[in-house]
Amino acid sequence: MTQPAPPSKSALSLPDVLVALGITLLGVLMIIGTQRINSSGMNTIVGPRVFPMIISVGLTLLGAVLTVLALRGDRAEPAAEEDTDPDAPVNLAAAGIILGGFLVGAFLLLPLGFVFGTAIMYFSVAFAFGERRFGLMLLVSLLVAFVTYELFTRGLGLTLPPGILKGVI
Amino acid sequence: MDALTSLFAGFETALTPLNLLWALIGVTLGTLVGVLPGIGPALTVALLLPVTAKLPAVSAFIMFAGIYYGGMFGGSTTSILLNTPGESASIITALEGNKMARKGRAAAALATAAIGSFVAGTIGTLLLTFAAPAIAEIAVQIPPTAKFALILLAFVTISATFGGSPLRGLISLAFGLGIGLVGTDLQSGQARFTLGFPELLDGIDFVTVVIGLFAIGETLFVATRLRKDKGNVIKLQGNASMTREDWRRSWKPWLRGTALGFPFGAIPAGGAEIPTFLSYTLEKKLSKHPEEFGQGAIEGVAGPEAANNASAAGVLVPLLTLGLPTSATAAILLAAFQQYGLQPGPLLFLTNGDLVWGLIASLYIGNFMLLLLNLPLAPVWAKLLNIPRPFLYAGILVFSTVGVYSLNNSVFDLVLLAIFGVIGYGMRRFDFPVTPAIIGVILGPTAENFFRTAMQQSGGDYSVFVTQPSSAFILVIVVLALVLPPVLRARGKRAA
Repeated sequence: MTQPAPPSKSALSLPDVLVALGITLLGVLMIIGTQRINSSGMNTIVGPRVFPMIISVGLTLLGAVLTVLALRGDRAEPAAEEDTDPDAPVNLAAAGIILGGFLVGAFLLLPLGFVFGTAIMYFSVAFAFGERRFGLMLLVSLLVAFVTYELFTRGLGLTLPPGILKGVI
Repeated sequence: MDALTSLFAGFETALTPLNLLWALIGVTLGTLVGVLPGIGPALTVALLLPVTAKLPAVSAFIMFAGIYYGGMFGGSTTSILLNTPGESASIITALEGNKMARKGRAAAALATAAIGSFVAGTIGTLLLTFAAPAIAEIAVQIPPTAKFALILLAFVTISATFGGSPLRGLISLAFGLGIGLVGTDLQSGQARFTLGFPELLDGIDFVTVVIGLFAIGETLFVATRLRKDKGNVIKLQGNASMTREDWRRSWKPWLRGTALGFPFGAIPAGGAEIPTFLSYTLEKKLSKHPEEFGQGAIEGVAGPEAANNASAAGVLVPLLTLGLPTSATAAILLAAFQQYGLQPGPLLFLTNGDLVWGLIASLYIGNFMLLLLNLPLAPVWAKLLNIPRPFLYAGILVFSTVGVYSLNNSVFDLVLLAIFGVIGYGMRRFDFPVTPAIIGVILGPTAENFFRTAMQQSGGDYSVFVTQPSSAFILVIVVLALVLPPVLRARGKRAA
């Protein structure tokens, strides 16, 4: 609530401008997408295009305003969270590792099975958060994945892919 | 008296051994996720929705209610012992409670927070018990035009009026509304914004959006800016307990905090943040020793914590009687009702009375359980703060995967989850609030429905929204809520 004085408005922030332009572009694309919704031969009073049109035009306008403000030097302050340090250097590689590990795990979920797929995800997050005790990480990853699998399949009756462990667990 | 009879019937539902067990699981889970950073009650309910699909509705909601209240209790533990608020409503607790803890009064701070939360939660639930049926009776007569206007009001207040930046809030809302449109339009049968993916014809499940924006987005964001020092968790000696003097100084702030929190929760005013600030200011003004504020005054923990919990009870009034959520967690509860084929609103009290009253009764029980769970067990919860972050966040990601995958058993959903995760990261990096997007996804389709019903009834006459008195009145408030804050801010700036 009580925020410090707004940051200096001198320098233009390129990321902020790009985000604002991206939002505007999304709005424009949604307007085009709205035109593609089939509304011929409808006898309803409010067709399927009305709401999408209102929202896409709204988003485009809001994006345009944000672009103007960003071009005038406005910049966003990153959020402060429980475990973040606002002064820490930004480590985008960590986010990349998590995302990469997640996608690899997701695509191996069916062929290898839930246990190994999520173990890959678990391992990559722990690595990205700076953990380097590899033996421990491997053990915990497999353990968490296995216990989760058992808990949700046996306990709550969900079907999760067993993969190569089919018949074993 | 009707309310009392129904409430007793509700207790009969809630007091069965199995439902008591679900309530206990709910409050334990709620406290757990409230204490842990990176995961909160909103996310937990969303995660549990797909995996609890096989439970009876009453049991599921009794558990969800426990999570909802439990999250509030747990959140105060974190803010007192760690000085980093998990949610905006705990900022004050973090400020004043952490100062107390640093002076070796952690036990008293935790006790006044827990007992205050219990008092406020119980009074709030009591008010809910009597207000909800009365409001439901009036709400039955609300025409669709006014219902649409009410949703607009919730949209505007949540995204624009009380947030940091109205522009960014509205963009977040529009984004959420757009996501809510993806899929087949039920009235016309036309596909909208599906980009040719057959998987998108059924729409994007809000669970994917919520988990992506909250859990994955948070994990990515924290990973890039991880706090390297361990943080300094304050050691807690013994149980949470208070002296006679602490009681004397706490009971009035509890009651005043409750009086502030409940009404603010009940109107669509963007959650618990405002009443906690108001309560803090009020206690400071009424205190005989205002110099203690900012140095660890117990009143500054007691009042805001009570306000926080009372507003949590207040939020349930518009949710149950109008189907109108005023916070992210409430929006997810609304979606949970919809997944069970129930539409919260005035008719819910008639059609599913046993469920609603079972839920309300379980709030009393849950509150009591939370008090027992939090006073003697405070040191146990405090230990959770020492979980190494790499293992904690990795675990959150795995549970997120289970929740989303089990929606449709589809890897496509996991790719969507990753995309929403990246968007969630971007929203934190570029200061867009997440709550408006969640409200947009969940409430957008309902808004379109009411709009269409209203149009159908008026025969396509758009002016019906301003000629129908109740909707015209609400629309005036909508305009005021949108225009007034920037004007006041501008005037304040000129005066300063």
